[in-house]
Order: sequence, then structure tokens, then C-alpha cells
Amino acid sequence: MTETNPTPHTAKQSGSSMVDRLPVTPTQGWVLVGVSLLLLEIGAIAQFLAGVLPVGTGAIQLAEQIPVLLSRETIPNRGTHVPGSGWQGTFLGLSPARAWGLRVGLTYLYGAVVLYWLWRGYLLYRSRYRTADWTPFDDVVRRFRHHRWGQFGLVVVLAFLILAMFAPVLAPTGLEQNAIDPYSHELEYYDETTEQVETITIGTANQDSTSQGTEERNIGLMSYDDYDRFHPFGTLPEGQDLFTQVALGARVSLFIGLVAISISAVIAITLALVSAYYGGVIDLATVLVSDATQSLPQLLVVILLSVVFAQTWIAGLYSGAALLALIFAFTGWPSLWRAIRGPALQVSERTWVDAADSYGLAPRTTMRRHILPYIIGYLLVYASMSLGGIIIAAAGLSFLGLGISPPTPEWGRLVNVGQPLLTTVSWHIAVMPGVLIVIVVTGFNALGDGVRDAIDSETDLGDEKEASAAASGAGG
Amino acid sequence: MNRLAYLLRRIVLSIPVVWLGVTATFLIIRVGPLNPAAAIVGPVNSAQAQERLDQIEEQLGLNDPIHVQYVEYIVDLVTFNLGQSWVLYPGQDTVALLVQFGPRTIWLGFWAVLIPIFIGIPLGIYSGLNVNTKRDYAASITGIVWRAMPNFWLAVILLALLSRTETLFFGTGWESFLVETQLIGAPDLSNLWTIEGFTIATKQILPAAFVLGSASMGNELRLSRTAVLEIITEDYIDTARAVGVSRYRLIGKHVLRNAMIPLIPIITSEAYLLVGGSVLVEVVFGINGIGTLFFDAMTSGDLPLAGSLMFVFILLTVSINIAQDLLYTLIDPRIGYAEHR
Repeated sequence: MTETNPTPHTAKQSGSSMVDRLPVTPTQGWVLVGVSLLLLEIGAIAQFLAGVLPVGTGAIQLAEQIPVLLSRETIPNRGTHVPGSGWQGTFLGLSPARAWGLRVGLTYLYGAVVLYWLWRGYLLYRSRYRTADWTPFDDVVRRFRHHRWGQFGLVVVLAFLILAMFAPVLAPTGLEQNAIDPYSHELEYYDETTEQVETITIGTANQDSTSQGTEERNIGLMSYDDYDRFHPFGTLPEGQDLFTQVALGARVSLFIGLVAISISAVIAITLALVSAYYGGVIDLATVLVSDATQSLPQLLVVILLSVVFAQTWIAGLYSGAALLALIFAFTGWPSLWRAIRGPALQVSERTWVDAADSYGLAPRTTMRRHILPYIIGYLLVYASMSLGGIIIAAAGLSFLGLGISPPTPEWGRLVNVGQPLLTTVSWHIAVMPGVLIVIVVTGFNALGDGVRDAIDSETDLGDEKEASAAASGAGG
Repeated sequence: MNRLAYLLRRIVLSIPVVWLGVTATFLIIRVGPLNPAAAIVGPVNSAQAQERLDQIEEQLGLNDPIHVQYVEYIVDLVTFNLGQSWVLYPGQDTVALLVQFGPRTIWLGFWAVLIPIFIGIPLGIYSGLNVNTKRDYAASITGIVWRAMPNFWLAVILLALLSRTETLFFGTGWESFLVETQLIGAPDLSNLWTIEGFTIATKQILPAAFVLGSASMGNELRLSRTAVLEIITEDYIDTARAVGVSRYRLIGKHVLRNAMIPLIPIITSEAYLLVGGSVLVEVVFGINGIGTLFFDAMTSGDLPLAGSLMFVFILLTVSINIAQDLLYTLIDPRIGYAEHR
């Protein structure tokens, strides 16, 4: 535990000759790279802010004028194939599949560069600005760098984050025009009988691109429909693009998971600190409340609450995602609290906590400075594993027809839509969202494993048992 | 005697837990934004419906002050007067419904606990004995992915696969393999004591139980692997090997027996997950057990029935917990009666 990490120093030495020749210091360079990365997407950020903040339509229009590198407008994948003159309207005349692939590739590249930029920033901070030569966190990072399984999880989780964040960019088409209001939007295609480019509403086009389970009526994986539209994951029974729904469904899942886990984490941390610090009656009361919450089977309570609150205003927020997130938060905190209660109790009995007390620190300060840092790692482990469980449970609820209401796409509901067609050629509808759930949940579990091993290489069976329960979620 | 005292202590300690759980249910149903009577009646658009609404409100005691309602509610539950169904099976007694629907869920749960034990644990032990080989990795990765699979999705996929297995089961499909059964539907438990009845009921429940037990299977695989790994590095294993105990005897007598100790209570804690998971699996497989009953009660607005079922579930989970703690003390006497959370 006490060995120092030599990498920052050696890195500084070996890199210095190259860095010296540049006219900027490493910090300036880092900031410059950051600004240029930001500039590429400034339009998207401006549009997002203009949409969220009450700034009026003028500002929204202004924001939409700014070109965005990663968008369906800059790299369009929609076009018409005119025999003899190739693809019209797509990016550089590429086929829609390639244009879409290019956009996806660029988006993930952009995400990877931003993440690498953040990582360099951390290294820079560590070598130049941090006063301490070594902190325990360095060891955690070092151990994680040797943990291939954990890194696999990290990569999967980051890919999922990028999918959720850039969902509208990654989708081959927009949800609004493709699924919500298809008859108000039009597309152009080359009609072979009239040998001209014709216009048709997307709604009518969708009727010819349905996946109904027969050979004639099926748009499978990585295929085009009659109107030259490319569908990476095929289409839904009603003809909408599946990948668009899957990408936006990732957003909902991530939203529910993150909001629920953040609220549970705040509750769990507060209770763990207070109950470990004061002990006695407070600890007993917390045990009781948490046992009582856990005695209600989570999935059933979630069903109960989502039905009871279905008519209230809160169920209208984000098609019910906000309500689901809150429900998961208030039913899920006991497992998180149980996971960090042990470490919190152990730390609170250490001498430095006594010392801090006798030194006259306020209890709040003692808890925050001297107990919290030791339990935050454990919290991360269980939070990561519970996130997978929440994603599964939310999908399960939507599968049952509760939870997220249309038109917001949700993975569980897509599985439900595709279930009757599973034994036909249109199997992709139910299979693809399910496969994604399995991959994402495995990723969160692997990340949790990796962080746990990085924090504390010695783990006992008890830990695993709690973690297993968390990962399995509410039995969804 | 000591053990009996411990059991009593655990039961007394669980009373406040049950009380808090029941109170939470009461608050959700009676104080929550959904009026139970209105949920039963549905849209009130005629004088008749309004009259019925008033009548049900009166019968449920919704017009009383909230503390009177609360006391009545608790007294009813304590005396196991669970009321009746209003929408789903109008007028049927909740206890009668439980007796009618319960056995199917219990049958499902029984197999859902049993299947993982017979698949997950042997696989985990096999992995642990062949640690860091390709076979170990294959088994471990299967367990990890298995655990990440949503029950509802696995159920859907399994149903689809089983319906397409025309030739896989010795020339017949799954439905006509051994005995004729439907893929979807509840098992017939009336002839359980005859060989044929037992086979039919078991075969009927197997796919659902397999799905419901899948999460446990992954967990048990992982844990039994760890347990074997921990035992195999103990000194007494080395000693036994040095003395010349044969490999099979070593594994059978020294490794497995000790590796089982931490595993048994985990099986009971898996039972806990089954309670929640049964809803989804029962709905997909069309088994009309308690899970389906609860789900249908919720979606049709039968809140009084759902509340009573919730009480039964609370009792169930709390008793599973107590049973698990008791098992701990039975298996490992070192675990104290006094300090146990």
C-alpha cells in the first residue's frame, strides 16, 4: 500500500523534450485541446441549452444556425439512389449505410477523444498541481489498470453512455419524424416505375417497411427498405426504425438508473454516516426502516407505486421515467446502505475519528472529512452493480406495460412488441434490445467487480453475496 | 433451549419490521393519490356509478377519519381477515384466492430453487477445481452473462426456442416430449401423487422455473467457485493430500463438505428474489399463480386485494429471513445468537 507510483514523474521526464519544443505549456495545450473539442459541438450544447432554458424562440433559431459536426444534418445518411448517378443527398455520395457508419464511428471517436482528454487532464493535475506525491487513490488507479475484466466493464459502460448521450446523432432518423408524427414529414425516393424522384410521407413509407414476420414483410438487420432508407437493426412491426428507438431507449434507461442511484446514494451515505457516527438508537431505527423497506418485495412495490401514482403530474414527467426513478430510489436505498454500513462502522471506531472529535471538529465535518472518503469506494461498487439491476427492473416493468409510456421508447416495451414475432424472420425486434440489456448489465457488473478489486484486493464472501443480490435487481 | 430463545427473539424483532411494512402499504393505498373505491368503480359517468362509488367507500370505510381506518386495517391484518376481491374476482375471499392460486406459485418456486442448486453449484465446483483453465472461464463467463439476463427476456427467448424444437427432443418437440403438455399455461397440481400427474406438472413448470432460477444459478455458480477456491488453499487439504488421500476422496469429503457451509444460507436468500420475480415469469408463461394475481389486481384497480397480497408477501420475506438466520446458526455454531444483524 505504501509504495509510491513512479509513472507521473517518468512520464514527465520522457515527454519533456517533445513538449519543450511546442510554444505552449502542457496546461495551456490541454486547455486548447479542450476548447477545440468544445467548439466542434458548441452548436449542440447551445441548442440543448436553448431548448431547456426559457430564452425565447429567437435564441433557439440562432442556436440552430450554428453548424454541429456530429449531427444528421452535417453527415446525412438519408438519400435517394438514382440509377446512373449514384446516391443523392447523402454525405459525400456514400451509401446511407456507410454514411451512417461514418457518423457512428466519428461520434464514438469524439467520445473517446473527450475521455482521453479528461484522463490526460487528471494525469496533468497529478504530476503538476497536486501537492501530495502519492494518495491512496493512485493505488486504486494502478490496480484498476491491471484489471482487464474491470476495464472491459468500463469500456462497455462508456459506450453505453455515449449511445445514450448522442442518441439523436447515432439514430439513422429522428423519433419525431419517424414514429411520433410520420404523416407530417416527407421523404424523397426514386420511383422505378415513373423513373423519377417522388415524394411520399414517411407514414406511408413506413407502411411498406413493416416487419410482420413473413419474408415479404420484413426489414431485418443491416438492410434497406423500398425507399432507400437504411435500418441498422431493422424495423418495428409498424415500420419504424428500430435502432432509433433503441438509442433513445438507452437514454431513458440511463436517466432512470442514474437518477435513482444518485438519490439512493445520497440517502444511503447520509444514513450510514449518521448511524455509524452516533450509533445506538439511531442505528437501530435505521436498521428497522431499512429492513421494513426490504421486506416489501421491490418489484411488487414498484408496480404498486407506479399504478397508484399513474394519474398524478409526476407521472407525466419524461413519460413516467421521473416517477420510476424516484420509486427505484426510495425502494433501493437499503441495499446500498447495507453495503456501506459495515465499512462506515469500522471507520467510525478508528482513533482518528476520536482525535477529530476531541480536537473539537463539528460532527458534520468529522463525518465528511474523516469517514466519508473511506466508504465512497464501496458505494461506487454497489452503485455500479445496482444500476444494472435497475435497468433490468425498469425494462421488466415496461415489458408488462407499466412504467414508461409511449411515445418514449423503452427497451422492455420493444421486447414486448417483438415477442409475437420472435419465432419468425422478424426476430430482431425482441432480440436486439434484450442483447443490449445483457451487454450493458454485464458491463456494469464487470465495472463493479473491477472497482471492488481495485479498492480492496481482499474480498470476502459476504461482500459477494450482497453484490449478487444487487446485481440481480428486483428479480426483473 | 438457547436456539428456541434466539428464534423467539428474532420473531419479536421482526414485529416492528412487519408493522412498518404494513404501514407503508396502508399509506400508499389509503393516503396515496389513487382512491381505492374510484379505482374499483372506474370512470364515474352516471348516477348509478356515483351511487356504487359511495357504497364501496362506505363498505371500505374510506369516509372514516384516517386513524380509525388505520386501526381497522391493522386489526384486520392481525386477525388475518384479509377482505375480499372487488374487481378481479368480485366477492371472492382473499384467503380463498390465496389457497386457490398459491400452490402453483409454490410449485414454481420449489423448482426455481431446486434447478439452480443442481446446475449452478456443480458447475461452480467444477470451475473451482479447474481454476484458470478454459473450462473454468467458459463456466464463469456463462454464469456472469446468465446473471445479467433479464428474466422476462430469457422467458420470451426460451418460449420461442422451445416452440421451435420439433426434432431436438428425440424426434419430438418439447410439447410432446415424454408427456403431452402445453408450452404456456398453469400446471395441473391435482394429480401430483400419481407418477403421470407428477411428470406432467413438473414438465409444465420446468421452463418457467428454469427462467426464474436463472439469476440464482449465476450467483450460486460464482459463490461455489469462490468457496471451493477458498477451501482448496487451506492447510488441512495439503495435509490430507500429503497423507495420501485419493483425489476423489479429497474432493468429496474435505473440499465439498466445507464448501457447502457458506452456500446453504445463500439458497434461502435466493428464495427472496423469487417472490418479486414470480410476477414477470408467471405473466409470460401464463401461470395463474399469486404473482399473476397481484399483477392483475394492480392493473384492474383491485387495490384492497393487492394490499392484502402485499401483507402476505411481507410475512413471507420476513419468515424467509428468519429461516435464513436460523440456518446460519445451525450450520455454523460459531455465529453468535447475540450479535447478529
